[in-house]
Amino acid sequence: MSAFLIRRLLRFVVVCIGVSVVTFAILHASGDPVSLIMPEAPEADRVQLRVALGLTDPLPTQFVRFVANAVRGDFGKSFFHREPAFGLVVERMPTTLALTSMAVALALGVALPVGVYGAVRRNTIADHAATVVVFLGQSMPVFWIGIMLMLLFAVQWRILPVSGWETWASMVLPSVTLAAFTTPLFMRLIRSSMLETINLDYVRTARAKGLSEWLVIFRHALRNAALPIVTVIGLQFGLLLGGAILTETVFAVPGVGRLLVRSIVQLDFPIVQAGVFLLAIIIVTVNFLVDVLYVYLNPTIRLR
Amino acid sequence: MKRWLSVVLALTFAALVAVPIGAAAQGKDTLTVALPSHAPTLDPHMHFERVGILVNINMFDSLLHRTAKLEFEPSLALSWKALNDTTWEFKLRKGVRFHDGSTMTAEDVKFSFDRVLEPGKEKKKSPQYGNVRAIKEVKIVDADTIHLVTDKPFPLLLERVVFFPIVPKKHLEKVGEEAFGSTAAVGTGPWKLVEWKRDQHIRLEAFDGHWRGKPAFKYLVFRAIPEVSTAVAELKTGGVDIIRNVNADLLPDIKSHPLTGISTTPILRVHYISLDMRSAPFDKKAVRQAANYAIDKQAMLQKMMAGLGRQVATVVQPAAFGYDPSVPPYPYEPKKARELLAQAGYPNGVDITLHSAAVDWRPHFEALGQMLTDIGLRTTVKMWDPGPAWNKFLQAEGKATNGAYGSWGNYSVFDADAVLHPLYHTEPGGWIGKHYARVEGLDRLIDEARSSVDQAKRKRIYAEIQRMIREEAPSVFLYTQNDTLGISKKVAYEARPDEWLWLFAAKPKN
Repeated sequence: MSAFLIRRLLRFVVVCIGVSVVTFAILHASGDPVSLIMPEAPEADRVQLRVALGLTDPLPTQFVRFVANAVRGDFGKSFFHREPAFGLVVERMPTTLALTSMAVALALGVALPVGVYGAVRRNTIADHAATVVVFLGQSMPVFWIGIMLMLLFAVQWRILPVSGWETWASMVLPSVTLAAFTTPLFMRLIRSSMLETINLDYVRTARAKGLSEWLVIFRHALRNAALPIVTVIGLQFGLLLGGAILTETVFAVPGVGRLLVRSIVQLDFPIVQAGVFLLAIIIVTVNFLVDVLYVYLNPTIRLR
Repeated sequence: MKRWLSVVLALTFAALVAVPIGAAAQGKDTLTVALPSHAPTLDPHMHFERVGILVNINMFDSLLHRTAKLEFEPSLALSWKALNDTTWEFKLRKGVRFHDGSTMTAEDVKFSFDRVLEPGKEKKKSPQYGNVRAIKEVKIVDADTIHLVTDKPFPLLLERVVFFPIVPKKHLEKVGEEAFGSTAAVGTGPWKLVEWKRDQHIRLEAFDGHWRGKPAFKYLVFRAIPEVSTAVAELKTGGVDIIRNVNADLLPDIKSHPLTGISTTPILRVHYISLDMRSAPFDKKAVRQAANYAIDKQAMLQKMMAGLGRQVATVVQPAAFGYDPSVPPYPYEPKKARELLAQAGYPNGVDITLHSAAVDWRPHFEALGQMLTDIGLRTTVKMWDPGPAWNKFLQAEGKATNGAYGSWGNYSVFDADAVLHPLYHTEPGGWIGKHYARVEGLDRLIDEARSSVDQAKRKRIYAEIQRMIREEAPSVFLYTQNDTLGISKKVAYEARPDEWLWLFAAKPKN
């Protein structure tokens, strides 16, 4: 068990280093950052700033300094806001994480019963209908679903607010939109993994003992079927954070995604770096935690 | 088990019903405006963002105010006059109060200018410095009199002080710049700050002690909504009352809706294609003229812009000082264009590439490219994101291209200089046209007009410049653009040619 975790921990470290390299490269990929900060300044001023920012040092030196600052949460001041970039990102993080978590909860809440039902009553009309919905859901882009939901629920029927993030009601549409993007995948996965377990010997034994069908399905079959789902939730989390960027823009949610989009357009690199770094670290951490959870859930790994 | 489930369901339902549904109740005394984003600060001197200026003008006053008809009107200054070529005298209004209750003095006026001018400092903190750099000194003559002394004659001074908010010296020094820009912004304007939730809303409340009296709406809210279609949906459902920059394709929808309407007005923005005069084929005047004859401006206006705009002879706007109506626009004459192209040595046409970062105007850009292609200037249009790549392109001075399509907003300054200098003066740095334009004698004329306060003389020079650039054609001259607001039927407000949202003028409608 510890060997497995140590391997995972090493991978976690390697990925973090990779993330730092990419984030570091963002600034340098776009040409001279100094001419972005002061586009119309005379060359003498630019040279001064280049020295002050340490841009004249060799790249490896700059990289080490970048990482050293980054782990302390120092990404420099935002060009646009003139405040520390990290703080601007962190203050919007709870909103984005809340949106993402609600979406995961919603997606599971729908996918679990429907997926299990599809496996237990496979090839019935309801099962096929669910498959069709899955395909539809996966083919629709997030922003389009968002706008359609907005038109129906907010403009046509007037039962939910159009946008914002102020009341509970205003959180419904963004969460549902983001969930719609990932529910189909969960549903398919739960269905197929349930199909695999439902015919295994131990399930049949449980049935033979005379347990009720629902108890067999939820207590016995689902437990094992849940393993791949846990992994996929970890992976989906990253995709959901990406989806949150579009959802936040459509619904005017004051989260990290929207800040990032605007900062990219405004060439505000400290914010882009801080945002990409933090999001990447969160995703990597979540995946690491999922691995740990996996060990806990799956004795075959624990015992190896 | 089943009973347990139904209890949970019932509780969930009850919770949903109990939580207030819908946006914060829109009272009759609240006016809500949708902006695509918020400026980084509420400090009116420390940003240069249109979305910030629109908020600031409702919280702060400047020395002068500009009416919807674009005339200067007394604001914090009751009267003003030029004492000589370089000294302007302003008489201040007495008894004006800041939101914190203190009285505005000549000290505050001087302090406001000095914090942007930062005399003696090499590097200036304020991005607005360039607007007022001509001011050499701010003198307090007596308690109600201020002199602004410029280093050379500066005819645009009044235009520049129309948006130059006066801030309270004592208060700002007490709370510090950071707090002033976020939680403690204080001015003399009709509304005072209640709360700023970043990326959500800026909430203002009417200021009881404002010298103009009370505005019609007690609360003024600026919501940040990045997506246009979301803003339109909010407008239709009463979540906001005013949205800006409505595109032609959204007009019919907003016009026909029972709760919303539009208000549209010509603005200072002018569209053009800058041509690279440094290299073939646009180094030849005949080719540049051919490009101008190739464009059917009326068709563009009618078919693609819902008729909201007008064709112009050059880049100088009808509303700007110095506009000469006797200079005619290029007519649409494709036959003549082909002849000119042949005369210039391109009887079989020539391939060109045009660039643009005006993402909202892509269809228009493509249509322009097609019209040029039709007369033999076979155009490849290259669209950029207004991000890093475009920035690199600008840094390379637009090399390896033949031209760039874009539009210029004149910084809302109603003077020919505000478009001629940035577009055609060849001094280093700045806008793309500067790299492209090579019109002999033009720099000298622009400088000459800029450094005179004799308006008749300036008018003469600008007339000469317009005839000159129409002939030399450093750009393909296109059309002006309207700004269109979407407005709730509950609110009476008219769009302004300077694109300001001066909401003191807004009234509730029954």
